[in-house]
Amino acid sequence: MRCEDVTTRLDAYAAGELQPALAAKLAAHLDLCESCQQSLHRLKRLAAVLGQASVPPVPDGFAARIMAKARNRRVSVASAGWNPLRWWRLVPAPMHAAAAAVLVIGLAVGLLMSWTTLPAGQAAPGQATVQADPLAPYNVDYLTDAPDGSLAQTYLALVSTPAGEGK
Amino acid sequence: MPTPSDENLMLSVRDGNLAAFEWIVLRHQAEAWRVAYRFTGDAAEAEDIAQESFLRILDAAPRYKPTATFRTYLFRVLNRLCIDHIRKKRPIFTDSLPQRTDTAPSAIQRLSDGERDAATQAALALLPTNQRMAVVLRYFESLSVAEIAEAMGTSVKAVEGLLARARERLESLLAGLMEDF
Repeated sequence: MRCEDVTTRLDAYAAGELQPALAAKLAAHLDLCESCQQSLHRLKRLAAVLGQASVPPVPDGFAARIMAKARNRRVSVASAGWNPLRWWRLVPAPMHAAAAAVLVIGLAVGLLMSWTTLPAGQAAPGQATVQADPLAPYNVDYLTDAPDGSLAQTYLALVSTPAGEGK
Repeated sequence: MPTPSDENLMLSVRDGNLAAFEWIVLRHQAEAWRVAYRFTGDAAEAEDIAQESFLRILDAAPRYKPTATFRTYLFRVLNRLCIDHIRKKRPIFTDSLPQRTDTAPSAIQRLSDGERDAATQAALALLPTNQRMAVVLRYFESLSVAEIAEAMGTSVKAVEGLLARARERLESLLAGLMEDF
């Protein structure tokens, strides 16, 4: 084992984090290498120096300030209204698959129905009638078919008298 | 009643439970603050970073999956925000950094605790950002090399290299303080 390999693994070795086999190799090297022994010694001293350094206490009200901002964020998210994208992200994955399946089945059924009810290039008879006489459904020409002697027939006879006959 | 684990609390937060989030904040505020302070060396900046880390975690809660320990997850968020903070921050040239400590025993003995802390913090500030974060997580938060790798999004081998280079630099910068040990 080279000294360079030992030096880079000294932290993990000192903390007992290495695999037993690797740790044994390192220990064997350390037994023979005074330079690496000194590196390990310096590491322990450095750890002691850093471990003694104190850090200022957490500022007063730190957690309360975080929670105030957290509540504000939640309120703003709620007041922003319904967000389909956000809602979709919250839906579990199986529901995504189910929704996709329903969509595909719906499209397939729709296509199938349109294909069977409307063959290509052939319109339904009812549609042809409607297109030929759009007023037929409203029976606006009922006067022409009025029976003889009816009021409607009499009215038509009067209206259609040739000019001059009345003089 | 058993204390709920961080991961269970986060699953409650995912379901919209803000009380569970408060529990998380109270439980981890000190270490979040320490990491940010050790990294930046500034109390106000540390508060901003630590606070933003918790809020980012809350925002991402709907997508939370307990794949790692919450602590590692928190440090990962902190690491990203600390690095972003340094990238955005303009360099400040100052002559007010603490003087390098004298190696003579008499000088060491004269150093107060505050001066020792300041010297340590100044030495940390001279490390490159990734080495500094590795040292903070290792020597101040006692994370394993594997946990640091996960928090920093890198390999164990890379972390070992970062720590070895950082040690070499710190041994030189803090030689005076190390005389006592």
